[in-house]
Formats: sequence, C-alpha cells, structure tokens
Amino acid sequence: MASRVDRRLGGGGKKPLFPRLVRGIKGEGFFRGILPMPMQLLLWFLLIIPTLIVLYLSLVAWEPRMGTDWWQAPFAWFRNYGYVLSDVRFWQAIVRTIGVVGVAVALEFSIGLGLALFFQRDFFGKRLFTSVILYPMMLPWVVVGLAFYLVFLEKGPVNYMLIHFLGLKTGVAWYHYPALALSTIILADVWQWTPFMFLILYSGLGALPRDPVEAALTLGASRWQIFRFITMPMLKQVIIIALIIRGLEAFKIFDLVFIMTGGGPGTATESISLYIYRLGFVYGQLSYAAAMAVLILVSISIITRLAVRPLEYEA
Amino acid sequence: MNEERSREGRSKRFMTLLGQASRWLGALAICLVILLPVVWVLSISFKPPQEWLAYPPTIIPVEATSSNYIVLFQPGNPVGGVATMVSSAEPVTKALINSLLIAPVATAASVTIGFLAAYAVSRYRVGGTFMPFFTLTTRMFPPVAFAVPLLVYYRTLGLIDTRLGLILMYTGFTVAFSLWMMKGFIDGVPRHIEEAAVLDGASPWRVLFTITLPLVRGGLAATALFVFILNWTEFLFALVFTSREAITIPVQVSHYVGAVGRFYGPQAALGVVASIPVVVAGYLIQRHLVTGFTFGLVRE
Repeated sequence: MASRVDRRLGGGGKKPLFPRLVRGIKGEGFFRGILPMPMQLLLWFLLIIPTLIVLYLSLVAWEPRMGTDWWQAPFAWFRNYGYVLSDVRFWQAIVRTIGVVGVAVALEFSIGLGLALFFQRDFFGKRLFTSVILYPMMLPWVVVGLAFYLVFLEKGPVNYMLIHFLGLKTGVAWYHYPALALSTIILADVWQWTPFMFLILYSGLGALPRDPVEAALTLGASRWQIFRFITMPMLKQVIIIALIIRGLEAFKIFDLVFIMTGGGPGTATESISLYIYRLGFVYGQLSYAAAMAVLILVSISIITRLAVRPLEYEA
Repeated sequence: MNEERSREGRSKRFMTLLGQASRWLGALAICLVILLPVVWVLSISFKPPQEWLAYPPTIIPVEATSSNYIVLFQPGNPVGGVATMVSSAEPVTKALINSLLIAPVATAASVTIGFLAAYAVSRYRVGGTFMPFFTLTTRMFPPVAFAVPLLVYYRTLGLIDTRLGLILMYTGFTVAFSLWMMKGFIDGVPRHIEEAAVLDGASPWRVLFTITLPLVRGGLAATALFVFILNWTEFLFALVFTSREAITIPVQVSHYVGAVGRFYGPQAALGVVASIPVVVAGYLIQRHLVTGFTFGLVRE
C-alpha cells in the first residue's frame, strides 16, 4: 500500500483517508446543496407542515376539550368556513383592523416623509437626533403598549396637558369609548413605527441622483414642482415597498391591543389577530380559528400579489 | 466696496444660522414628543404606589423609591407598600434567564443559517426566484395563523413550554430576515475576489469562510443585532407556547395585573429592565451601520 505521505518537492501534505469522499465533500456540488439545507429544514418544520396542519384542522371539527386526538376528529368539510363568513365579530375585526392599518400607515407615511425631508439638510446635532428618533422601533411592543396605556390613563399626563393647556373641564376617558381607545392604539403604533418610514424614505431620498434636481433648479423650477414631479416619481418604488412592508406588519397588530385595551371596551378594539388568538387559545375552538386563519392567509397572499404588481413592471 | 460685500455676507450667514437654529429647535421638539412616553414609564417605575395615579401627575417622583425594582426579584421585600401588593407574584429571574438564553441562541442560529443560505442564493442562485421570496411568507402572515397549527404540532412533539421549542420557533421566523439582509451584504462583495481565490485552488468552503465572511462582518453584526431585537421583544408566540418553565420577559410584563388593577410600578420597572438590552443593541446597530439598513433596496 503506498504511503499517504506526499514526497513531492516542497511537501504537498498527506493524502486524506478517503480521497474520493473528501473531494466530493469539498466539491462545489455538495457545497451548493448543503448550504441552504438548514434553512429548508426549518421552513419545512415551521412553515410547510403547519400550513398543511392548519388546512386539515379547518376541515374538521375539533376542540382540545373534546379529549380526542386531533387526527381523530370527524370531518366537517366547509362548515367552519361557513361559520366564519357569517360571523359578525369576524367582519367587525377585519374592518376594524383594516381601518387601523389605513390610518396608522397613512400617518406614519406622511410624518415619516416630512421628517425625512426635514432631515435632508444638515444641522447641529443631527446625528444625535437621528439616533433618538430611531429608538421607538426597537423597544419591545409590550413596553410601548404599557407606556401608552399609562400615558392615556384618566389621571395621566395626556389628560393633564389637555386640561391645563387646552382648557378642557375633565379629562378624556380614553378607554371607555371605542373610537378613543382605537385612537390610542393607533397613536402608539404611529409613535413606534414612524421612525421606520422615516428611515426608509430618508435612505431612499439620499440615494436619488442629484442631476435631475439640479437641472430642474437651473431651469427655474420651484421647490414644490421639483418635489412633485421629480423627487416623488423617483421615490415611487421605495414608497410602495415601504407601504407594503408596514401595511403587512400593521395588519398583524396584537401586542399593543393586548396590553393596552385587551380588545375592550367589550370587543370594540379587537384586532383580527386578537380575535383568532381568543378563539384558538382562550375559547379553545381550534378548528374554527384554523378556518379563519386560512381565510386570512389566502386573502393576504392575494392582496400582496396585487400590491406588488406595480413594482414588477418597472423592475 | 469691501464693506458692502461683507455686509451681504453677514446677512446671508445670519439667515443660514437662523435656518440652522430653527431646524435644531424643530428637531428638539420632535425628540421631546418622542421621549415623553419613555420618560413617563421611567418616572412611574420609581414612584411608590400612592403616587402612581396621583393628580396632577409629576415627572419627578415626590418620594423616589427603588422598591419597584427590588420587588421584581424579591416579592415581599422590602416590607410594606408595593411589596405587600405583589408578594404572591413570582420573581422575574426565571423570565430574565429564559430571555437571556433564548434570544441570543435563536439569533445565532438564525444568522448562521441565514448567512449560509444567503451565500447559496447570492452566488449560486439556489432556489431560483421562488425560494427566497417564499421565505418571506413567514413574515407576511399574522403569527397567530401559524400559532394555531403549531400548537397541536408542538403538543404532539412535546415542545410546549420548552426553551428549545421557542428557540426553534424564533429561529424559523427570523431566518427570512437573516437571509435577505445577508444576501444584500454578500451581493456587495465583488465576485472577482472570490474567483481569484478559486483560481488559486481554494475549495468553496475556504472561499466562504476565509474570504467572504470577514468582508461581511459588519453586515453580520448588524443582522445579528436586528434579529436579536426581534427575538427579545417577541410576544405572541411566547404568550401562547410558554407558561411556567419557558416564560420570557415580554410575557412577564403582561402579568402584573391583579384583582385590584394593575401594579403600575413594578410593571413599569420591568418594562425598563426589558428595554435595556434592545436599547444597547440599537446603539450598536447605529454605530455599525452608518447609512442605515436599506435591505438591499437601494445601492449605495
């Protein structure tokens, strides 16, 4: 048997024990295959299998307190879906959540855009202010919810300022009226996520080419005209992406509602995530919750597909 | 003539100075509005119970106390006041330890897996156009929609209320972020460096670890910090899938509600404690990433 020691000039190193195997492992094909494998395993474990399970659950009638295992439950086919579509509380939650998303994202967008434009010029301490502005995004949602809950209490600082600076007679009972309670939640979300919009728009603005703007300036266009006809169209892609990302995230809103109002008063501020949570994990109606979840998944997929269309044309 | 010019210059400088000052004031006002809720939580965390709902509200407590913080770890001590209210609560050490274990481990796993996969997607177009976007569906849908099937799934596997179960979940749901962020950074490494190394006889593994990895170190750090923030602050899955053993800090914060109402002091104190790691992480992110994370949307 030939020794595995290499007698080449300058030394070549020993030959490995199983040369063909090692060459295979070190080769490119193996490399490409194995790199994404952990991620694909995770996706199977956490995404694909649960999706199959949720589809199955939605087609049976099962609740944990029935005592049987979930795969032994009787089939109910599309009955659950029928229940969902005729559930008033479901539709209310959907409309409410969409409303909250619409208002919150619109506010975040406008304020974020204003801030991004405001920050285009340099000024003293800009770095520091930018740091501070970015912080709300990083705080745990529960802390943000807690902070805003405390701030809007009847005897809290907001009411205090309203009474003293705006001359109201008594404080506002923010949590007693659905519209007001929703407003506090919207405000908390806007507070936390406007920095996100600001960041994206600011980066987007900073990366725009200067030439068209300067050409327009020399041609005598006003700042407003430049903004409207040059800056905005160039930003369109960034804006659409930002809106989609934030819109999807806002639709999932749960933590804030849970901590601030618990869905109250009654169910007046219940977001769709909170309702599904209650159904599945508090009332134990897992099949029903599964059907609702499937409907939501399908709707979001369709809507996202449609929303991304404008981007694809330009890409 | 010289005097005329310098007079013009002076008024122009004054105008820009005025512009600068007004911008600075505007920014200051904005920052104050942003900081108000945070300051309020801090303030309540140092107030004794009688001041929690005192009116008119004060920012500086009349009798500042640290008992809200102490009571988090040792309910019942010091005697009296807040301690008697929460004496039946559990110390938060368990939640703290859990979060300190779960978040970093899940972050490390997510970033590693995401980095490897991102390299494959960036250099070899593995998965084509479908797979990378498919991973985004984990972020697109409300987590509660995944929680429903995961509950039965985990129950069968016996992973409910375990740290491992939570780590797996967190890793899985942040790996999409890791993938996309690292892909952006890896795309920024010029291929010819790697190709030169291949010509010199390096295996793909060596290229990955000795050449590409050091070049994207900054991006790796930024991704890790970002994912850490996501994992540390995650609430819904922790709420559903943990009860006594694997409870995390965000869920613990939501527990300070009793028959008489909420225990604002300790709750606020815990909120402050919970926010410290992410504030630090946020600061580190901003130091590493000068131009901001644009998710590869925009080429610098």
